[in-house]
Amino acid sequence: MEHGTAARRLEVVGDDTPVADASALLVRTARGDEKAFAELFDCLSPAVFGLARRVIRDPARAEEVAQEVFLQVWQTAARYDPDRGSAKSWVLTLAHRRAVDAVRHDQAATNRDKAYDWAPDVDHDTVLETVTIKMEHEQVRRCLGSLTDLQRESIMMAYYNGHTYAEVATLLDANPATVKTRMRDGLVRLRDCLGVEAS
Amino acid sequence: MNTDLHDLLVPYALDALDPHERSKFESHLDQCDVCSVELNGFALTAVRMAEATEEEPPSALRVAVLDRVATTPQERPVVTAIAQHGALRRSMPRLAVAASVLVATAGLGGFFLERDRAEDLQAQTEQISTILTAEDSALLAAPATTGGELRIMHSPSHGDAVVMGSDLEPLADGRIYQVWAMYGDEPQSAGVLPSSSSMVLASGVGDADAFAVTIEPAGGSQAPTTEPIVDTRS
Repeated sequence: MEHGTAARRLEVVGDDTPVADASALLVRTARGDEKAFAELFDCLSPAVFGLARRVIRDPARAEEVAQEVFLQVWQTAARYDPDRGSAKSWVLTLAHRRAVDAVRHDQAATNRDKAYDWAPDVDHDTVLETVTIKMEHEQVRRCLGSLTDLQRESIMMAYYNGHTYAEVATLLDANPATVKTRMRDGLVRLRDCLGVEAS
Repeated sequence: MNTDLHDLLVPYALDALDPHERSKFESHLDQCDVCSVELNGFALTAVRMAEATEEEPPSALRVAVLDRVATTPQERPVVTAIAQHGALRRSMPRLAVAASVLVATAGLGGFFLERDRAEDLQAQTEQISTILTAEDSALLAAPATTGGELRIMHSPSHGDAVVMGSDLEPLADGRIYQVWAMYGDEPQSAGVLPSSSSMVLASGVGDADAFAVTIEPAGGSQAPTTEPIVDTRS
């Protein structure tokens, strides 16, 4: 028992410290501090680039989008309110939105080019497999593994591949309303499994 | 609470809505206190999924980002709305009307100033007050074809103008309003309005014949890429 408590406390400290630092760095960035911004970049770029890469796949395009994300962070840093969450959450939320918009924009352009040969060119079985195997984060993987197949597929195809829930429904040959319900059930389960508490 | 809209909360947290549903849900979100608490938990869960994908970026990314940052202006929050600024207000009684016209729709804060040079807020406030109190400053309002209007306090003798959006349509992510000073048919960027009620201090526009506004990608464009939604000459 004694040991368990200590381990948990250590884990909490280990999780919180870098986050607090990133938030302080982002606040300094908002004041035009380029040095703080460079440190913030070092702290968050693996997460931002990794996410862009997961959603976009193409490394060169992911790099481009990661660059746009950090530029946006620099420009709009004054909008960040440390009382409303960590800098890492703020930046990753922004990065995900941007990566998804980029992949949809590119896809729309591709579909226009290939109008004569349109078919969903995503082999989602392969995609899901790759995502699952490459998932470094043990807890997220374990928690995703605890969802039903449809819950997990709906969430991962939306979040990691940038599909809308309507596209997910088409790809899974399911009813959009069902997909929304599975996404909600799955995300609730994932949230509780990860022990996320809304602040 | 609207059940249909509430169903969109989870797809919204996962960025799984099309642009139309996204903006529909966002306007619902503004009026739904219950949603924001629930959304927060889902958004943090999504962030955990994001964190699970870390990958070391190529070193060229760092160089490219820091290079661009060195020449990119930042949005600056206005700490004190002009109307709330006691000293400033006392210094320009004759402008009370004009200033209140400018500020009335801005609310108490929540709007941003975008600058060409990153300097401190004080200098900017002084510069704005100089324009507002100039003998020859004049207020110009022009409607936007997409709704709302543009208000411009222009002082030809100082060569500067304070430009502000009023009730402009909110834009999709990654889009901004860009203000152009027109010299005949030649547009020159006078700054960007990142949100629908932003304010921009445009310097060196004393010889401008007119002002125009276009919708551009975030960060602004070198030259207008879309049809103007405001033209003070029309």
